[in-house]
Amino acid sequence: MSDPVSEKVLAILASVKRIPRDKISIDTPLQALGIDSLDTIVLLSELEKAFRIAISDDDARSVRSVRDVVEEVRKLAGDVSVDSTAPAA
Amino acid sequence: MTARRVVVTGLGVICALGHNLAEVWCALRAGRSGIGPIRSLDVSNLRFQNGAEVREYDTGKHFGSGADLLDRFAQFALISAREAVADSGVTLTPELRENTAVVSGSCVGGQSTQDAGFVELYRQERGRVHPLTIPRTMANAGASHISVEFGTTGPAFTISTACSSANHAIGQAFRMVRSGEVDLAIAGGSEAPFSMGLLKAWEAIRVIAPDTCRPFSRDRRGMILGEGGAMLVLEPLERAEARGARIYGEIVGLGMSSDAGHITQPSVEGPARAMRAALRDAQLHPEQVGYINAHGTGTPGNDPTETRAIREVFGAHADRLAVSSTKSMHGHALGAAGALEAVATVMALHQGLLPPTANFIGPDPECDLDIITHRARAAQVECALSNSFAFGGLNAVLALRTHLR
Repeated sequence: MSDPVSEKVLAILASVKRIPRDKISIDTPLQALGIDSLDTIVLLSELEKAFRIAISDDDARSVRSVRDVVEEVRKLAGDVSVDSTAPAA
Repeated sequence: MTARRVVVTGLGVICALGHNLAEVWCALRAGRSGIGPIRSLDVSNLRFQNGAEVREYDTGKHFGSGADLLDRFAQFALISAREAVADSGVTLTPELRENTAVVSGSCVGGQSTQDAGFVELYRQERGRVHPLTIPRTMANAGASHISVEFGTTGPAFTISTACSSANHAIGQAFRMVRSGEVDLAIAGGSEAPFSMGLLKAWEAIRVIAPDTCRPFSRDRRGMILGEGGAMLVLEPLERAEARGARIYGEIVGLGMSSDAGHITQPSVEGPARAMRAALRDAQLHPEQVGYINAHGTGTPGNDPTETRAIREVFGAHADRLAVSSTKSMHGHALGAAGALEAVATVMALHQGLLPPTANFIGPDPECDLDIITHRARAAQVECALSNSFAFGGLNAVLALRTHLR
């Protein structure tokens, strides 16, 4: 799953929570990374900016794992390239 | 000095349900929601479109040429204070003015003023903002204008504890009257949060429902912002009886607590401790409480948590007390919420009619309380609680008792 989208999502996640990138795998539950509902909102906001997408509140509430987040982004962004002006990971 | 009994002798309110007490109570008892499409702003770029706005509001009718000095939130504070004072029939003698407190709650202060100033500054690059931006924006503007209008020179201040602001405010006023520090208090809260900057901030935190507010119901999707103001006139029972005042009800306790936990996620224990503290302060047994006007925001998170807190405090009695959230009708007016709900709760005790939860579409097993839905329930309960739990984990609960003549 090391495509550009999942790589970028994991990089942004690492940046938002200030955790080493290599500690995060695609199947990690967000909770196991110490990510609560408020962190999730911040993460999704960064992803919305980076991928120029809009994630609905209902979808935002349903994400539980890193994979859920990646799939949500992939659903909305397809394989489009990421915004280079987004915060560096 | 021994503690005095504190009664409510005047009520004033303006919100999405009406411009005065009669209109608002009429809507509350009918279960009529004031939630609808937001009209004061273009919300086409927001994920939510509905709010509980004050409709057909004419600033000039209330303030004439002096309106420029007051942001909308301070106008609501003053309008509701005018009604409450007139409703109480109290004569503000020079001596009483010195012994009158004004305590208001506001979460966000003069948002529309601030937003308009920032548009001029950053978007229109005018390089200056309106010279009245500071006095209009300050969160204490409501309390200050009330004090100026009525010439009250006792303690006056504003409390800002997010969604608990007005309950903390009414609670402090209650304690000042109870202790004998003042002989009269005008207390409540006001809010006018419909500015684009603030709506965008609420959108970003993802707690606003895209449809409507359905507290304790299945398929609830969040809260709905509301605006308005509500004020209560509080005085010692002896003074109220001596002047033959109409007594709406008695405030008997205040309970406060802090979750000391998460900045936005509610806890069970913090609200439970606040409810217990209110009962203790009021010297009430849990079995004396027959109605709770819940914080009931309609978010997926609050309502099950509040349900568990109520069960923890009341045990088996939780199944024998009625619960409703009037936010389903007047919306969540942030720093005014507790004041709107105090008015609803006092009126419920006074009229023997418990206001319902509107927009309820079916039970949620996680919110398995006796929720009053759609229509008011006739019931003369002895005591009631009114809950407010804030972002930041700051909780304030008022205990009220029916006044028996």
